[in-house]
Amino acid sequence: MLGAQINPLIAFCPNNNEVHIYKMLEGKWEKIHVLHKHDQLVSGIDWSRRTDQIVTVSHDRNSYVWSQEASEWVPTLVILRLNRAALCVQWSPKENKFAVGSGAKTVCICYYEQENNWWVSKIIRKRHDSSVTSIAWHPNNILLATTSTDGKCRVFSTFIKGVDTKHTSSGSDSKFGELKALISFILQRIVLYLFTYLIVSVTLFAVQQIMQLDLSRSWTFGIRWSPSGNTLAYAGHDSMIYFVDEIGPSPSAQSVAFRDLPLRDVLFLSERMVIGVGYDCNPMVFAADERGLWSFLRFLDERKQTSNAKYGSQLSGTFGKLYGQSKSGSNEANESSRTRAHDNCITSVVPLKKTRDATVTTFTTAGSNTFQHLMDGKVVTWDLQQQQDLMEYLQG
Amino acid sequence: MANSLRLYLTCIRNTLDAALCLQNFPCQEVERHNKPEVELKTSPELLLNPVVYGPLVLICRNEAEKCLIETSINSLCISLKVKQSDELENILTKKFLRFLSMRAEAFQVLRRKPVQSFHTFLMVVGYSTVYYTQGYDISFLITNYHCEDMQKQKLIEFIVQFMEDIDKEISELKLSVNTRGRLVATEFLKQFI
Repeated sequence: MLGAQINPLIAFCPNNNEVHIYKMLEGKWEKIHVLHKHDQLVSGIDWSRRTDQIVTVSHDRNSYVWSQEASEWVPTLVILRLNRAALCVQWSPKENKFAVGSGAKTVCICYYEQENNWWVSKIIRKRHDSSVTSIAWHPNNILLATTSTDGKCRVFSTFIKGVDTKHTSSGSDSKFGELKALISFILQRIVLYLFTYLIVSVTLFAVQQIMQLDLSRSWTFGIRWSPSGNTLAYAGHDSMIYFVDEIGPSPSAQSVAFRDLPLRDVLFLSERMVIGVGYDCNPMVFAADERGLWSFLRFLDERKQTSNAKYGSQLSGTFGKLYGQSKSGSNEANESSRTRAHDNCITSVVPLKKTRDATVTTFTTAGSNTFQHLMDGKVVTWDLQQQQDLMEYLQG
Repeated sequence: MANSLRLYLTCIRNTLDAALCLQNFPCQEVERHNKPEVELKTSPELLLNPVVYGPLVLICRNEAEKCLIETSINSLCISLKVKQSDELENILTKKFLRFLSMRAEAFQVLRRKPVQSFHTFLMVVGYSTVYYTQGYDISFLITNYHCEDMQKQKLIEFIVQFMEDIDKEISELKLSVNTRGRLVATEFLKQFI
């Protein structure tokens, strides 16, 4: 998809205030850059494919957008106007804006203003009752879904005049945008200068909450849209995963309860297959059958191990949070380890390689680990080509 | 007797397995801070249940022995009440556990003061009223940082092992006190024979 880059790159935060960028050179990962600007733990990283920018947010309420200039990464501060830690970040599908969820019970939508040459943020206030743990953009670049520790999942329409064109929005949203544009035009002619500024800024970005889902009774994490944007999936801390179909016209929700420990993050591999990762240290596969009913299929890592001998010597370690994407589709050999891949909770999962129709065949997971001497977290790549029974769900 | 101990410990082990799903969570009340929410108790939604004092799982073996587990998003507090059948055991337990609590830094997961229960009884003694606060004997505070540095299974093993060993220790101490008392008394009274 991208230019002629052969080696994939990975960016992650090893549980401190830095971001490490590794490159795959001859079958081994080499550290090529360290981005050092934040004061506290970096809680979210996202790498945009087309514009080649990394956005990082941290517990110190700041966010930086890094762009590469002549083999150095240069940060640009983004004024988020947050008064609590930022918890998660994601570029929108068109990569012209990104959203940040925070512990201040708000979500910031940031976009680039060409005239002033800086990143502006608009804040969604008063909608969430607690910290926003995870956010996900719909493929249409307008809808944003959020999960929070108050157990609710909310979907917002974040149309920004001047940034989003009318072609990108769906039917109801374009009317909304048009109406607002008309009102602002009239008001500019009639009202006094001071009031005009106030009202225009409000109509430029008026958040509309489309839906609030109250399915879970405990904290919710890891929200994702399916590749077509038809289905929403998120995990609750009560060991449940929720699937919501047909967001617009008539939403229908399913919840799948499982016996094991809760999940932290989910990933859609195709329309009908979802990977969940969490406190079980083992990725779980959920699949939908022809009727659209989701159920738990199996664990990915079936190999059992006798763990006693190994644990004795492992006492210290840090956990690496992995965000980041490969820059091209390469034939990277998979590295799923022979014994149980993760020793401790898996915190996130990201896709590594996508086929033409946006199904993901390889992905990486990262989590806490207890790795002797090496201070990086375990990053494991999983390749689904070898799991024949799962291939049929990928075509769906 | 041993059977009920097994059941008690299995129940605690399973509860801890589910409760030790902790993650890093910055404080919602104070910026740039990261506090164990189970100690803070200011945001009820972070204490796993929308109940004012958070989810309290109380596992009782009998009236005298119980275990209180309070959970939150980034921390866990386990408070134990050890069986004390007579006055001597009372004193021994108090002294022994105080000894351990004073050295809480070496244990890392220990809390310096045991948790006091929320139930206070009003007792009328003579012409004065006395507030009687039920408490626990020892408390552990496990945060997400401990889970990152140490194995979760090892932490649970440690807690359960501690509970088993406490009973043995106290009875050993009691035995040695009685033995010493007997020896001393025998020696002392020999002079009167």
